[in-house]
Amino acid sequence: MRISYNWLQEYIYLELSPEELAARLTMAGLEVESVAPFRDPLPQVVVGRIISLEPHPRSDRLTRVRVDTGTDLLTVVCGAGNVEAEKLVAVALPGAVLPGGDGPLEVTDILGVRSGGMLCSATELGLELCGGEDDILLLEGAVSPGESLDKVLGFSDPILTLDLTPNRADCLSVLGVALEVGAITGEEVKLPQIVIQECSRGIESRVSVAVGDTRLCPRYSTRLVEGVTVGYSPLWMQVRLLKVGVRPINNIVDITNYVMMELGQPLHAFDFNRLSGDEVIVRRARLGEKLVTLDGVERQLNPEMLVIADRAGATALAGVMGGGSTGIQPDSRDILIEAALFDRISVRRTAAGLGLFSEASHRFEKGVNPEGVLAAQDRAAGLMAEIAGGQVLSGVIDVYPEPARSRVVPIRPHRISEILGLEIPLEEVTAILQRLGFGVNKAPGFKLKVEVPLRRGDVELEEDVVEEVARLYGYEQIPATLPRGELMECREEPEQRIQEMIKEVLTAAGFYEIINYSFINPIYLQRLALPEGDYRFKAIPLENPLSEEQAVLRTTLLPGLLKTLQHNFYHQVGDQLMFELGAIYLASSLPVKEAPRERTTLGLAATGRLLAPHWAGQSPPADFFAVKGALELMFNRLGLVEVEFVAEPFPYLHPTRSAAVLIAGVKAGYLGQLNPEVAELWDISQEIIVAELDLENLINRADPVPRYSSLPRYPATLRDIAVIAPRELPAVELELCIREAGGDLVEQVVLFDVYQGGQIPPGKRSLAFAIRYRSPKKTLTDEEVNRLHQQVTLALAEKGALLRE
Amino acid sequence: MLNQIGKLEQEVRAAIKAADDLGQLEEIRGSYLGKKGAVTTLLRGIGRIPVESRPQVGQQANALRDLIEQLLAQRAECLKQLTTGERWERERIDVTLPGRPVALGGRHPLTLILDEIKQIFIGLGFQVARGPDVESDYYNFEALNIPRDHPARDMQDSFYLSPQFLLRTHTSPVQIRVMERLAPGLPVRIIAPGKVYRRDDDATHCPMFHQVEGLAVDRGVTLADLKGTLSLFVREMFGSEMKVRLRPSFFPFTEPSAEVDISCVICGGGGCRTCGQSGWVEVLGAGMVHPRVLKISGYDPEDVTGFAFGMGVERLAMLKYGIDDMRHFFSNDFRFLRQFR
Repeated sequence: MRISYNWLQEYIYLELSPEELAARLTMAGLEVESVAPFRDPLPQVVVGRIISLEPHPRSDRLTRVRVDTGTDLLTVVCGAGNVEAEKLVAVALPGAVLPGGDGPLEVTDILGVRSGGMLCSATELGLELCGGEDDILLLEGAVSPGESLDKVLGFSDPILTLDLTPNRADCLSVLGVALEVGAITGEEVKLPQIVIQECSRGIESRVSVAVGDTRLCPRYSTRLVEGVTVGYSPLWMQVRLLKVGVRPINNIVDITNYVMMELGQPLHAFDFNRLSGDEVIVRRARLGEKLVTLDGVERQLNPEMLVIADRAGATALAGVMGGGSTGIQPDSRDILIEAALFDRISVRRTAAGLGLFSEASHRFEKGVNPEGVLAAQDRAAGLMAEIAGGQVLSGVIDVYPEPARSRVVPIRPHRISEILGLEIPLEEVTAILQRLGFGVNKAPGFKLKVEVPLRRGDVELEEDVVEEVARLYGYEQIPATLPRGELMECREEPEQRIQEMIKEVLTAAGFYEIINYSFINPIYLQRLALPEGDYRFKAIPLENPLSEEQAVLRTTLLPGLLKTLQHNFYHQVGDQLMFELGAIYLASSLPVKEAPRERTTLGLAATGRLLAPHWAGQSPPADFFAVKGALELMFNRLGLVEVEFVAEPFPYLHPTRSAAVLIAGVKAGYLGQLNPEVAELWDISQEIIVAELDLENLINRADPVPRYSSLPRYPATLRDIAVIAPRELPAVELELCIREAGGDLVEQVVLFDVYQGGQIPPGKRSLAFAIRYRSPKKTLTDEEVNRLHQQVTLALAEKGALLRE
Repeated sequence: MLNQIGKLEQEVRAAIKAADDLGQLEEIRGSYLGKKGAVTTLLRGIGRIPVESRPQVGQQANALRDLIEQLLAQRAECLKQLTTGERWERERIDVTLPGRPVALGGRHPLTLILDEIKQIFIGLGFQVARGPDVESDYYNFEALNIPRDHPARDMQDSFYLSPQFLLRTHTSPVQIRVMERLAPGLPVRIIAPGKVYRRDDDATHCPMFHQVEGLAVDRGVTLADLKGTLSLFVREMFGSEMKVRLRPSFFPFTEPSAEVDISCVICGGGGCRTCGQSGWVEVLGAGMVHPRVLKISGYDPEDVTGFAFGMGVERLAMLKYGIDDMRHFFSNDFRFLRQFR
């Protein structure tokens, strides 16, 4: 909502500067987004009076005009047809910079005549006033030559742009804001003088109204104004409309808009002679009924929508927009003014259903003051008589079967301090409410009965009244205290704490946390080479996505990881270690009938090298074992021991470099190199390692509290063993074999070398383990260790791993 | 054999002389006098030489051993005394060489802010609660006093999955879920961080972003408590010189409602582009829990009151770190992420 400071002053005395006013309104809950002059100043453009006109000696289309600019008599050349002697015009003097022009105006020679300035059209001045495109702007009223045009048209008028909250429909008008300012400053509001002279003929003789649905239309009132002349509105009105953001059209339409902006009541003007018959019918639209609205679009109506109809059919969409065929035309003579109340929800649904939002629907859906209907009606009729030369028929048809009654809200003054934590003296409370125009009466039991005027439909409950008091008393008066009360355990849930640990370990291992959108492009799922029917294809689609990129909820973190890799490759980042901790969304059925399962999932991706290049040597690669290492570190931190990596192919992974990750025997996810063919689909040529783990089982089984065991009291004995084993024999089996054979006395087994090629026969590889033997009870003798080591060697040999000589 | 002893002596003298530090001396001792050392081997091999030569060889070998010990001790003494001179020069390193890289990743800047928020509120006695991203119309709107066809729904353009389910447009549904679970237990003091979704996508809006909801319900909770809690939060987050102001506003689920502004972090309150010359920036919405919301969640609004607030995490991160484009948060550009290590 835009408010002109000058217009506002018509209703209330303002001691506050525009900026102070803005600050006060903001602190009272009417946020002022900006205060700015209506237009930038236009120096060197002044009012001129035409003295004489002569034809241009060398052109039929041009005129040589003598114009009085207050201090000078100028000769200017002009091509417009609407210039006459004695008219007041806008003259741009040399040096003037016009909004649409290219640089400062200069004295020019136009076909042999020196033109010392330029007469301006509204367009040239940057104003969207109505009138002929090439017409010179003619000024009216008490202005004299030489006055600067920006002053005459109020260019410096401060415009306050209000960002109103949806509850404050009462402030969608200049008067509404004036009343609010009055409540803030205590100044009295001067209501506009409504002058109306009715002629002797009564409206009933010409028109009748039938309201078929009083729920959707609780009030419908009309007046008839006969014999108007449709033309341009006076300049002052056009300029005011521009200031509040409405484009002038013609005097009749402008008057309805002007009154809406002034008083907040939307109005509609019908060309009465274009209505069929003499009855105005308010009813629901019929199935299949159509209406061409004022904007020229044919609208499909349905019985949920309320229309204004005549005998021939719908003529307007109630509260939203009028129909084209009954709108005001240049030859319209008799005007039927509609001032009505329409149901908020019905208007909202109609507007939303047709995607047709108007200033009128905006007000109706938020609530219009039921008491203001007739005043607005009269205001418009009076202005039509005054400005368009019409005659107002006597009487109003006002169908209002159940007049609204103002609401009485009982309040208990002690509740004010209980809610606010601030004592406000009762007299102050009463004064504030009275400034708001609320009636305050004492009631039994220390209560107050607060009578809320109908224009404040948002005030319904005791709490609402408390807020009114608080905001006008000033939120800045409220002290700052802290809640008191019982203490509670405040640590995060175990589930969250585990997630914190995961982040801790992975960032310490060099991984960066990323956050992707929860929605993805469904085409990304196709780029994972998933088999037909894979659960990940059952992604939940958004009904109204912004783009295909965000069309479905993700069923895997993988696409987000790959997009991120790709993005960073494009920016020449070759080394990337990343993880994402977030939900995937799995529907039990599509379309969704119940809330989907949101599975917290950990995704990892790695490529390039683990560390930055360095003078002291090459960094290890971010390969399968790098990511596995990070995961092992994480499992270790979480106290998870029952973890296995088992070779298993996945469609999107390298078939011989991928593993399923099992936690306590249950598959939690995968780890592996991205299948190069899949990588190609993502325009990725570098080797990528990815992993994805469902966290549920992991969180349930995590046991992150470290357990102390007493430090060893006896020394350990270290023995190395190198074996040659078939390549396909998994290393983990050999380790298990060592532990089994050595029993409790094997404290640690470290695989410290893996080698193939060279002297190792084809199909075999050499593995070297460092075994630490220790007994908690005594120092092991050489013989004891030898015996154990011998057992280990034999057990390995049985597995096919023979001691390497 | 005697020749061999002579050669060994020459060798060991040269080695000891060349030794730069005590470690090297130890190595030399090992390779001559250790278990498999040259002199030891020599002495062990003495049984294989003619009997008549044995005493002489033995004597010389033992003499060599003593000599080595003596030389080692001398050299060690000498090296120790070298501490202020030559030795340090020999051991000089270029301290301006870059250190060895250490693998260290980083949390996302939004996580960093969330961590801080959680820490502050946990310190104030709040618990951390969570709710699902996919919400029913009931929790996201109805229970929060935003009925169907209410204009307040325009404040939040939603992504729907079906007529009944949508991606939550705010973290406020967690208020309802928590109260339903705890009612009529008191006190309720929670914050609820999470992802939220609105149909907006430009330099200042992302279709997904993060909020932290706060809720305190108890007997005697006031708007002043809200002001105190949030003031404390803002000062902890942005510094003790920060000013906080509450200004009346409207949310369907709070009454009275407030927008909370802090003095502009960029200009310090003098007025700049970030704050639209006002010196204030809006950081969160808040208010006293609407009596209808209390009631629908199982509390008696005559008996208890509550305050609630909701803050945008991206906004706080942008202010705190001076980030100028919200879209950076979800592009996951490493050049951006590395700045928050």
